[in-house]
Amino acid sequence: MLFNSLEFFIFLPIVFILYWFVFKKHLKTQNILLLIASYVFYGLWDWRFLSLILLSTIVDYFVALKINTLEHQTKRKLWLSVSIIFNLGLLGFFKYYNFFVDSWVDLVSMFGYHMQSNWTLKVILPVGISFYTFQTMSYSFDVYYKKIKPTRDFLSFAAFVSFFPQLVAGPIERASNLLHQITNKRTFNYNQSVSGLKLILWGLFKKVVIADALGPLVDDIFTNYNSYPSSTLILGAVFFSFQIYGDFSGYSDIAIGTAKLFGIELMSNFKFPYFSRNIGEFWRRWHISLSSWFQAYIYVPLGGSRQGKYKTIINVFIVFLISGFWHGANWTFILWGILHAVIFIPLLVLGQNTKYKNTILAEHSKLPSLKEFFSVLSVFSIVTFCWIFFRSESITDAFGFIGRIFTDFSYLSYSHPMGYRMIDYYILILFFVFYEFLIRKDERSPFNFKSKILRFVIYTIIIFCMLLFYDDNIDRSFIYFQF
Amino acid sequence: MMIILIDHLFISNFNIMKKLFLRLLLYVFCIVLILEVLVRVFHLTKDYPVRFVDELGVERWVPNQEGYSVTGNRRQNFSKFNINSSGYNSYRDFEPSKDKVELALVGDSFIEGFHQPYYNSIGKKIEAKINGVEVYEIGYGGYDFADQLHLIHQYQSFFDLIDLVVIGIKFEDDLTRNEYGILKERMKLESPMYRSLRNIKLLVYLQNIGAFSAAIKMTTTLFSLGQNNTSIHKKEDVNATQKRYVKYIKNFQSLVTKYGYDKTRFVLLLDKENSPKVFLDFLDKNSYNYIDFGEEINQSKIPTTLIYDQHWNNYGRNIVSNLISVYFKERVNNH
Repeated sequence: MLFNSLEFFIFLPIVFILYWFVFKKHLKTQNILLLIASYVFYGLWDWRFLSLILLSTIVDYFVALKINTLEHQTKRKLWLSVSIIFNLGLLGFFKYYNFFVDSWVDLVSMFGYHMQSNWTLKVILPVGISFYTFQTMSYSFDVYYKKIKPTRDFLSFAAFVSFFPQLVAGPIERASNLLHQITNKRTFNYNQSVSGLKLILWGLFKKVVIADALGPLVDDIFTNYNSYPSSTLILGAVFFSFQIYGDFSGYSDIAIGTAKLFGIELMSNFKFPYFSRNIGEFWRRWHISLSSWFQAYIYVPLGGSRQGKYKTIINVFIVFLISGFWHGANWTFILWGILHAVIFIPLLVLGQNTKYKNTILAEHSKLPSLKEFFSVLSVFSIVTFCWIFFRSESITDAFGFIGRIFTDFSYLSYSHPMGYRMIDYYILILFFVFYEFLIRKDERSPFNFKSKILRFVIYTIIIFCMLLFYDDNIDRSFIYFQF
Repeated sequence: MMIILIDHLFISNFNIMKKLFLRLLLYVFCIVLILEVLVRVFHLTKDYPVRFVDELGVERWVPNQEGYSVTGNRRQNFSKFNINSSGYNSYRDFEPSKDKVELALVGDSFIEGFHQPYYNSIGKKIEAKINGVEVYEIGYGGYDFADQLHLIHQYQSFFDLIDLVVIGIKFEDDLTRNEYGILKERMKLESPMYRSLRNIKLLVYLQNIGAFSAAIKMTTTLFSLGQNNTSIHKKEDVNATQKRYVKYIKNFQSLVTKYGYDKTRFVLLLDKENSPKVFLDFLDKNSYNYIDFGEEINQSKIPTTLIYDQHWNNYGRNIVSNLISVYFKERVNNH
């Protein structure tokens, strides 16, 4: 079920009413409702893959309990590896199996041996597998590191794993934040619900208006890059930057907003990443739940920054490499990860990666300084350049795309493949950037204006824009579902 | 004591939620009102002319209406229509006489031309190409061959004055009936309920951008649950296709026999590429003249249809008007 579908807008009020009116008195029944609702939410896409979620839930539930009973470090590690092997095994089979087979065949053929790729399978990638496997693994990790005590309440744990707002595309939650909210009684909070509804509205705007409107343009430019000049290709890459941001942060906002309606607070996933002043800041603002996951469960266990600069660089490189690979079974993602590592590591060496850790753009002024402006622009340009690898179908396409940018220096006005006026899109993006700048201090309050009238006007404009840019003929699924 | 406390909590929660729902409703109501105003002010959606069935049983538009046709999001195609005194979208009134040279285009929405400014229609283009000829565009969205021949039959005295009648025909769509009858489904659109709904411009806009298609699809799926839908997805085999072609040709013959067809003055406008050979052979064998627009339209390197609509764009209309003009001139020369 998609957040931007009719089914969801029927499903959500039904679950909301049942949750607060029918099952409110007993926490257990409320959690059973959450669990059933989450399984329905997922099962409407493909009920067969519910078994994977259930299996992952069962494995980590018992693994965590077992780890908790053991004192011997080796045995604890052994049980932890059960969780890791099981979850990564699921991921490996459904997401990476064909990639490994094809890569092996390619490698062998490089040495002159001709092999046919008979081992590849027609495997459907279960939606959200990368998200929920990481979430369940984090639970076992936290129990292993004694950060949390495991729960004996299986239903609550299953509801934690499958909590529908964040099940298929995150934020990837930690048990330390989410599980105790599920095991404790929730009370309806007016302000929290209003805040949730506002986030849902803002998320829908980012998805329906920004991401979906730019989608056909990006598809056209990236598919036919061979026939477009440099100016159009740059435009395509910039459009993709906004598309993926609108798509993914829009999803996260809807997820956080929906969770709020059920009295649950999820972690923030995006904090205006395109207003970052260096790439270190960007990675503290983009897909925060994944970055912090990698930091907690890969970077730190590898030694983090405690074992000298050289080891730190290696650790950072590994994290970026895995991060790229996590996104998809394609060399384009791996190269994307490596590129970010290459950009990040010099900052690390110079000790600049945490420079903007506790500040925001134009923190004490209405406008950014010239230096800040150019820093933001350069980070955005670098990130946009890297997105070319992320969006391209293959490495060859990515280099072909970049090659044309640097060789075909010509300008040609770009026309929308469906005949719409391009000026609408330029105005839209400018408006979006300007508005995001206005609200940059709090990513969880997109309409934080004192005047009620102003807020009402903004709601109306946002809904009006949704009507203006809604297109029934385009694919409205979320990009991150494929990961 | 505990029960009282829980009940108290429940009631207070209920009141808070009531506040939330009421506020939400108020906001939604106000926003919907403003959106209705915005849709009207920016004229984001099309105007619907009123249709009726006249005393001779012909379905057409109520004469003398004006409005704007809007296609695509954000008013991508915005054109004025002008329903003339005869109930068709045209820049001129139809006043045929023996002293003038007239050409009539009878067809469906392609001739009706709500997707184009009415003063830049195929008829207007033909008039620009042939001196002294008056072109009457008798187009109506959804007309099939039965509608067209029935119309010509009912208004025979009018059509007798016209020198050349071009009848648009799509084999696959227009020959499903062997007899004319008023299409009740179409006329339902003029029921008080539909008319009232059409007055809510926001609703019309949402329908046009496909915002309701998910709801319609869901309703259809729900209603079709448990029904055997295999026939819908079944691909037609060669025999069935041949049988259907034979049936359509029989329908053609039946309609011609019933309502008449003047082979000396009538000519069909069709796409040869999209008409089966058996039908084309039938037309040739029985001396039905036709103009093929398919070859030039389909092979054109410049787009001939609107991007968000299947109808002919200005270039497509140029091609069709050119073909009709050439045919008309040749016919005059031959006679």
